[in-house]
This record gives sequence, C-alpha cells and structure tokens, in this order.
Amino acid sequence: MESVKIKQLLEAYFEGTTTLAEEKLLQDYFNNERVADDLVQYQPIFAGLKAAKSERSTRTFALPESKPQSNKAWWYSIAAMLVVAFGVGGFYLSQPNYSQEEKEALEAFEKSKQAMVLLSENLNKGTEQLTVVGQFGKTKDKIFE
Amino acid sequence: MEKSEFITLIMPFKDKLYRLAKRILVSKDEAEDAVQEVFLKLWNGKKNIENYKNPEAFAITMTKNYCLDRLKSKQASNLKIVHNNYQTSENIEKKIEANDGVEIVFKIMETLPEQQRIVLQLRDVEQFEFSEIAQMLDSNETAIRVALSRARKTVRDAMIKNYNYGIS
Repeated sequence: MESVKIKQLLEAYFEGTTTLAEEKLLQDYFNNERVADDLVQYQPIFAGLKAAKSERSTRTFALPESKPQSNKAWWYSIAAMLVVAFGVGGFYLSQPNYSQEEKEALEAFEKSKQAMVLLSENLNKGTEQLTVVGQFGKTKDKIFE
Repeated sequence: MEKSEFITLIMPFKDKLYRLAKRILVSKDEAEDAVQEVFLKLWNGKKNIENYKNPEAFAITMTKNYCLDRLKSKQASNLKIVHNNYQTSENIEKKIEANDGVEIVFKIMETLPEQQRIVLQLRDVEQFEFSEIAQMLDSNETAIRVALSRARKTVRDAMIKNYNYGIS
C-alpha cells in the first residue's frame, strides 16, 4: 500500500478516529509489508500491539464443585432450624400451661388440701389423747379386777 | 446452569480477561489470580449471567473493576509504591535498555494512566468497537475516543523519543 494513504490513516489513528477496518489495514501494513523508511519508527507500536494480543495464561482456572456445597449449606440451615424449633417447643411444653378455670380449680384444691392436712393433724392429736385414755382403761381394769 | 455449559460460555474469552488483568496489574501472577477470582464470581453469580445480553462485556467489566480494586487496596496497604503515574528516570532507563521494540511498547503502556491503558488494551489489542468499550467501561464513546487518542499519542511520542535516541 502507498505510504501516503498509510500516513493519512496514521494521523486519523492518533486522533482516535479510525474504524476497526482501517486499524486492521495499519496492522497488516506494519506487520506484514515492507515499511517505508520514513514510517519505520511506527512499526514497533503495531508489532507490540500484535504481540500483546498473543499473550496467554498457562494456568488452568478451576471452578469449585458448587452443587454439593450448596446442598450442604441447605441441610445445615434445616438442621439448625429443627434444633431451634425443638428447643423452643420443648421449653414451652415443659412449662405447665393452665387456663383461668384450671388455675382457680388448682387454687381451690390447694386450699382444701391444706384444710384436710389441718384436719388430719388435729385428728391425730385426738387419737394420741385416745391412746392415753386407752391406757387409763387398761390400768383401771388391772386395779379393779 | 451446568458447569460444562458455563465453561463453554466463559472459556472463549478467558485470554482476553487475562490480558486485560495483566495490562492493569502488570504482574503475571496477580493477573492470573484476578482471572481466577473473576471466574469464581461469575460462577457464583451464574444465575445472573444468563440475563446479560453480552456475557463477554459483563466479564470484562467485572475483571476491570476487580483489578482496579486490587490496585487501590495495594496502594492503600502500601504493599507496592505506585510508580506508573509519572516517569521515573529508572523507567526511562529500562525502556532504553529494552532493545526489542515490542518490549518498549509494553513498558510504555505500563506508564499510561489506568483508564487509558484499559482503553488502549480493549481497542488496539482486543479490537472492540467503541460502543462496546463504552458499555464495558460505563462511559460514552467520545470519552473513550479522547482517552484512546491520548494513549496512542503518548505511546507514539515515547517511541519516537526512544527511536531518535537509538539513532543519535
């Protein structure tokens, strides 16, 4: 290609107004053709850009086996939820939970139990006294036989 | 999405991602780490990638963002003093030492500001259209053209300086 055309393209290139097709022309000219003497200073630019495109990484990029991992996380959250649910549920169930009526009934029961205990205590006192009376009877029988 | 499906979708542009990462981060190892990281991110968000019209552009944007973040955090933690925003005499010496023209271009590209470096990479190395680059970089075509023109001129001026130095 004539160097006049290339010079025009170069000018546009440095102004950032070339199209991709025009840039390809420049690439081809500087990398494949005999470059005019007054343009040879630009050659390394295009050689460098071409070389930059051939860079490759040799490392193999790994992806994690994400499926089992995500399943595990899912199971962990389910297990944690169950533990919390059982804990909270168990706590509530272990607490006695009475309705108002039942509470009143329970109170009445406690009161009557107390009354019964009082009664039986006094009754026991009475029976103790009775044994004394019994003893008295036995002694009296011995004497008056 | 199955793994094989994902790989056939992503693998065709893995080299592009690597080259972009290397252009930004310079170090080969860091670039490879970055690509690996981007792959994992893409894989974890694979449900979304199907929604994007252009997975390649999406992956490139992600790589660019990740690498720029890496650069920033590196600067913040002072792991490496950033030397590519200005030319130290050491840089120029390196350029002159590198006799191979291609090497010189690479060295000059390292001295460009990040945005220009990215634009030059995407246009002159990977040959994307301006509209595509604008989409990838979340910018507009005019801004891309301006950055590209500046980058190309910087490379040219540095090359000519170096070339003249070589002759005289």
